[in-house]
Amino acid sequence: MEKANKKSIGEILVDLSLPILLVALVIFFSIMTDKFFTPLNLTNILVQNVHVAVCSCAVMIIMISGGCDLSIGYQMSVAAVLVCKMMTVYGVPVPVALLCAVVLCSLLGTFNGFMAQKLKSNTMIVTLGTMAIFQGISYLISESKTYHNLPKSYMFLGQSKVFGVIPVNVIIMIVIVVIVGFVMGKTAIGRKVYAAGDNPEAGRLAGLNVAKIKVLSFTVAGVLVGISAILLSARSGSADSSTGVGIEFTGITACVLSGVALKGGEGTLWKVIVAVFVLGILANGMQLINLGTYPQYIAKGVIMLVSLYMTNKNSKAM
Amino acid sequence: MNSNRNERKGGVLTEVLALKNITKDYPGVKALDDVSISFEEGEVHALIGENGAGKSTFIKTISGAIKPTSGTIAYEGKEYPYLEPKQAIDMGIAVVYQELIQFEAMSVADNIFMGVESESKGLVVNEKERCEKAKALLAKFDCDVNPATLIRELSIANRQIIELAKAMVRNAKIVIMDEPTAAITVSEQEKLYQVVKQLKADGVTVIYISHRLEELFEICDRVSVLRDGQYVTTVNIEDIDKQDMIKYMVGRELSNAYPPKEPAQSEVVLEVENLSGNGVEGINFQLHKGEILGFAGLVGAGRTELMHLIFGNAKKTSGIIKVKGKEVHLSSANDGMKAGIGLIPEDRKFQGCFIDKPIFWNISISDIDHLTKGGVVDQKAEMKLAEDYKERLKIKTPFLKQLTSGLSGGNQQKVVIAKVLASNPDILIFDEPTRGIDIGARHEIYLLMNELAESGKSILMVSSDMEELLGMSERIIVLHEGHQAGEISKAEFSQERVLSFASGI
Ligand SMILES: Nc1ncnc2c1ncn2[C@@H]1O[C@H](COP(=O)(O)OP(=O)(O)OP(=O)(O)O)[C@@H](O)[C@H]1O
Ligand SMILES: [Mg+2]
Repeated sequence: MEKANKKSIGEILVDLSLPILLVALVIFFSIMTDKFFTPLNLTNILVQNVHVAVCSCAVMIIMISGGCDLSIGYQMSVAAVLVCKMMTVYGVPVPVALLCAVVLCSLLGTFNGFMAQKLKSNTMIVTLGTMAIFQGISYLISESKTYHNLPKSYMFLGQSKVFGVIPVNVIIMIVIVVIVGFVMGKTAIGRKVYAAGDNPEAGRLAGLNVAKIKVLSFTVAGVLVGISAILLSARSGSADSSTGVGIEFTGITACVLSGVALKGGEGTLWKVIVAVFVLGILANGMQLINLGTYPQYIAKGVIMLVSLYMTNKNSKAM
Repeated sequence: MNSNRNERKGGVLTEVLALKNITKDYPGVKALDDVSISFEEGEVHALIGENGAGKSTFIKTISGAIKPTSGTIAYEGKEYPYLEPKQAIDMGIAVVYQELIQFEAMSVADNIFMGVESESKGLVVNEKERCEKAKALLAKFDCDVNPATLIRELSIANRQIIELAKAMVRNAKIVIMDEPTAAITVSEQEKLYQVVKQLKADGVTVIYISHRLEELFEICDRVSVLRDGQYVTTVNIEDIDKQDMIKYMVGRELSNAYPPKEPAQSEVVLEVENLSGNGVEGINFQLHKGEILGFAGLVGAGRTELMHLIFGNAKKTSGIIKVKGKEVHLSSANDGMKAGIGLIPEDRKFQGCFIDKPIFWNISISDIDHLTKGGVVDQKAEMKLAEDYKERLKIKTPFLKQLTSGLSGGNQQKVVIAKVLASNPDILIFDEPTRGIDIGARHEIYLLMNELAESGKSILMVSSDMEELLGMSERIIVLHEGHQAGEISKAEFSQERVLSFASGI
């Protein structure tokens, strides 16, 4: 018998498990320390995770298309040092530098996707290779230097607030999340990305250009990574070749936590964003209650397993 | 229909599609060997042949899913060495594939409309409109599945219907159906025939592949036969009978569709008392040693669900299962296998076998613990086991190291059966045992089932093929909406009786 489309309470609970976890964490840390639930700290959590959220959008698109990108961290690193070097060393105008960073990242992403198609190889393995290439490029650009004294108008993107309350970068994040959510959820091209990841053969037989869709997913993800690099360096006010490194793992963690299928074709953006903030709150809260670094690792892992158990998504996808 | 036929004979209708000298080589096999067949406008053209004859390969050539090694495809006057899938779609060729190549995690509506140009032209997908369109299409098959449901939540039969709906939405000039009735029940078949007739009336050419030869007489105009990748003949349906079809297909005559079998013994091996769970309720029956017990019912009656419950692959909510007089508590398929039960599932691609693994790997996996020497797999013993089953079940393959995905549908099913038999169960559950299996191989499977039963094994068989059910079973239990609607003994067997129970009358 087919299931009726109305969701059962159980299914709704599974759907809401991440938001519930988020609220539970907020309540828990609020009880544990009075430093947690303050406007300042909450704003901090938001602002500190803006670039993670944007980056996770990129990771999600790639995973839905059936790929995986391990080179995202070094893509960010390349973009960050490039944009900052252009502005501080060569005095390139800010808008031009921004554009260069975004275009560069979209090219790097396209390169990843293109190579995976050309080599007919798994994207994870291909990006393991390109990761090393990007790392080299980043250090060649930065010459292991750190760039400070970034232009005011650049820092504006990361540090100023509209009406003195709403951080500019948070607004940028919201705009990006809304656009990505719309494209992936409501448009025909979004649907095709899901289809390409779900069953490439069925996609091919339905007349889709699956290879092109997959490469394009990497291109779009690259754009988001470029933006993410700008947001991060603008907030911290500096950039070096370690900027952004390792962020792909946070992104993949958030995606998996939210039920994005490892084999592609499944994933919901709002859940990914909630997962980003679950991880963010966890890190922030544990800092505030003075938990050491190592217990933090353990807590992170446990939360991950618990929420996997609750969503049960990935075992179903096996 | 008759006037139509006369027209065709009078040469009024025109050829739309012709495949000329098509050859397709796979490593070790010539799937197609210099095959030429042409198709006329508005005809229903059946393609028959044994498992592995090359039928699916032939239609995949038309749809652009594969490129032939040599030969040409002539369509509306133009010749092509091969087609791309997109090209074939744009030309108006729609295919219902045998293997149900679908987007598992996407909705019914997504599956139907994916890649349809008029749908994706606008930037934004109009969810409401396409759901309504999908509903209307599905209504043609009396299928009330919600278009927002995910494909993987549907039964095989409904997934089959989704594929048919998908072919309709493309306004195709040529619709190809590869074994569309393999998994659907009698009432749905009728609807499918209606749709085929409607398509024909609209001037659409239908290419129809089926192992159910009887149905061809109802809907087809001409029949082409393939044997071992070679073209045998094309005949008008009124000039041929079933016996001849079989003769063309297998190259010899076959006797006795349902071979006789010794009656069951009195010993009870399986008792099910008041069993509920997994969508079924209050099931009671006994299975005797050496018996073949059939299960009938419409789609959604809960036959497969019941089988999974007995196998331990689903949780019972109440009731008792006794194997050889002892109550068993099965909470996993592993428990079921330990209790001596083996399941040959209806869905061979996802549940039945490891499709991307070699044939021998599949056969040995369920008995792999016994095929080891000091924990290391004894490859000789493994290959020997596989070789034995290949012989016994006549699995048609050049080498056992071939991937199972490269086998024809019917041969894949044989691999599944071999895999289950290798674990040596006493009670065998056959869920749609001959789905997609040709008449010759079908006969072999019937013989095998009888042989198994006579050697003391007991069999539960679910089948939507009425003839097979009546021909093979010694008793039939009919389910209706998860309940046991009736039990029919051999003396009272008739299609009407089964159907009246099945529809709850
Ligand atoms: N991808 C492949 N790789 C290797 N061999 C293949 C492949 N696809 C088909 N074959 C072989 O080609 C032959 C024809 O297969 P095909 O699937 O066309 O048969 P069929 O007539 O459709 O059979 P069935 O009735 O069982 O569906 C078989 O011997 C099969 O093993
Ligand atoms: Mg076939």
